[in-house]
Amino acid sequence: MNGRPRQKLLWLILITVIVAIPFVAGSYVVGVMCFVAIFGGLALGMGLLLEQAGMFSLAHPTWFGLGGYVSGILAVRGIAPPWLGSIFGAVFVGIISYIIGAPLLRLKGYYLACATFGLLLIVEITMGQLGTLTGGNEGLMGIPPLSVGGLVLETDVHYYYLSWVLCLGCLWFLYNLMDSRMGRAIKSFNDSEVAARSMGINVPWYKLKVFILTAVMASMIGSVYTFYLRFTQPSIFGFPLLVELVTMIIIGGGKTLYGPLLGAFVVMWLREAIHLSLGGLLPRMSAQVDALFFGLIIIVILIFMPGGLSGWIDRFLYFGRQVFGRTDG
Amino acid sequence: MAERTDDILLHVRGLSKHFGGIKAVDEVTCAIKNRSIISMIGPNGAGKSTFINVVSGIYSPDAGKVYFQGEEITGVPAYEIAAKGIGRTFQLEELFGSLSVLENVMVGCHTGGRSDVLACGLSLPSARSEERRVRGEAMECLKEVGLEQRAHDPISRLPLGERKLVGVARALGMKPRLLMLDEPAGGRAAHEVEKLVRLIYTLRDQGITVFIVEHNMPFVMSLSERVIVLDEGRKIAEGTPDEVRTSEEVIKAYLGEEV
Repeated sequence: MNGRPRQKLLWLILITVIVAIPFVAGSYVVGVMCFVAIFGGLALGMGLLLEQAGMFSLAHPTWFGLGGYVSGILAVRGIAPPWLGSIFGAVFVGIISYIIGAPLLRLKGYYLACATFGLLLIVEITMGQLGTLTGGNEGLMGIPPLSVGGLVLETDVHYYYLSWVLCLGCLWFLYNLMDSRMGRAIKSFNDSEVAARSMGINVPWYKLKVFILTAVMASMIGSVYTFYLRFTQPSIFGFPLLVELVTMIIIGGGKTLYGPLLGAFVVMWLREAIHLSLGGLLPRMSAQVDALFFGLIIIVILIFMPGGLSGWIDRFLYFGRQVFGRTDG
Repeated sequence: MAERTDDILLHVRGLSKHFGGIKAVDEVTCAIKNRSIISMIGPNGAGKSTFINVVSGIYSPDAGKVYFQGEEITGVPAYEIAAKGIGRTFQLEELFGSLSVLENVMVGCHTGGRSDVLACGLSLPSARSEERRVRGEAMECLKEVGLEQRAHDPISRLPLGERKLVGVARALGMKPRLLMLDEPAGGRAAHEVEKLVRLIYTLRDQGITVFIVEHNMPFVMSLSERVIVLDEGRKIAEGTPDEVRTSEEVIKAYLGEEV
């Protein structure tokens, strides 16, 4: 079909680069790129919800945190090994997101944003208060590393590869999904809900399905993150993470599937650049400096390229095809 | 008027829909025969679009009953009614702007598919073969309305007349028994209306019952086997085009009390 060979080539290049990085770059680059995969993977699902399915849900960090907590607690208490705990975590989050999503997704726009933001705060506070189970606000300590069979994942490089497999796996899955019967249904109810209903699409049920799907993805990424840090705490999935995810989606652009991942890449490396260049100058101000810079960038992006970087790239490619003639039909 | 009931595709009895104090549809009763072309006319605000919206399940009625193929569908959700075989278009098109022309029609084919989230996301062979089949079916629907060369264009590049046809093709994707067209000829040039007339006859000959809501009188009168006239939500006349044309009630509604 249209542009399929080119898409395959892009995937091949992307995978080659990801695989090659640990061989050619130092541990610093590997570490940052690992975070790009984790938060980029998280932003993918949230971008899909916000921009393509039209659900203004802010609870994404919550699913990330809950997945990490469930698998972490099961591992600390020796109930389930980390890999099995991660699956339990995903199932748990799937059930919770179903129970919460069924009534909440009747809300639209800002009302849904308010309700899911409330959920985010409630879960963060609850995790801090369940002292004996979760370790309270100090966090959950003594989490073992991920291990499958005899293979123990301990080094940054291990988690780098695992995170990228998960992240690109999610991207691949979402690409397939959005280019299918289900994806067209999702885009259709965002464009015209009344027409989608008249075409035989059960809109509330489909919304719930997308909501659960992205929650489960976030939960799995959260589990990997927890075993990577071997620690988790309520503040990890609070308001700051939400702001960061929204920043990634705005900078990268949520109208394309790869946009949020691109956004994560830019945000992570920009932050490193800011810290490297200003770290000596303002050693005690890093969080405020971040906020100032990213605030400015968001304003500039929203004014000059409202579709984000990926929207700009897509337009550029589109005009390129118009000028040089379309060869891929 | 002893009509055999098994020849009636859609039966509406005492249907009412109120918005606050306004009776948009007020105790309308009618029967639509299988494989016929039937139109509903009336002045602006007579409740014609509301009638389609209630029958197709977008609104639930305040009173009355709707039977489709002998089965009651009053208050059934719109997506289930669609699956039972009622396809429709919209006065304001309501096309999916983020999808191409072909993809719009493929959404219309939604009820004909069964792949779910996992099959689609993992691109399983079953989902892929279904995708190919649906793509072919959607292309057939586009050919039916004569838009196959527009298949890969975005909706925004189509002129208004062609957008209305995309809406018809999308409804045909549902393989409907009853096709409800909301002002299909609105804002269209004469030669386009002619094409539309031919299309509607073709669809009727394929066994689809066509229900048209329209303002364009010559179009309605030349095409319809029966015409229902609505005024302020009430049915004031029903009959063949000639009967309706000469009905005093209808002349009153259109021209005022003096006539």
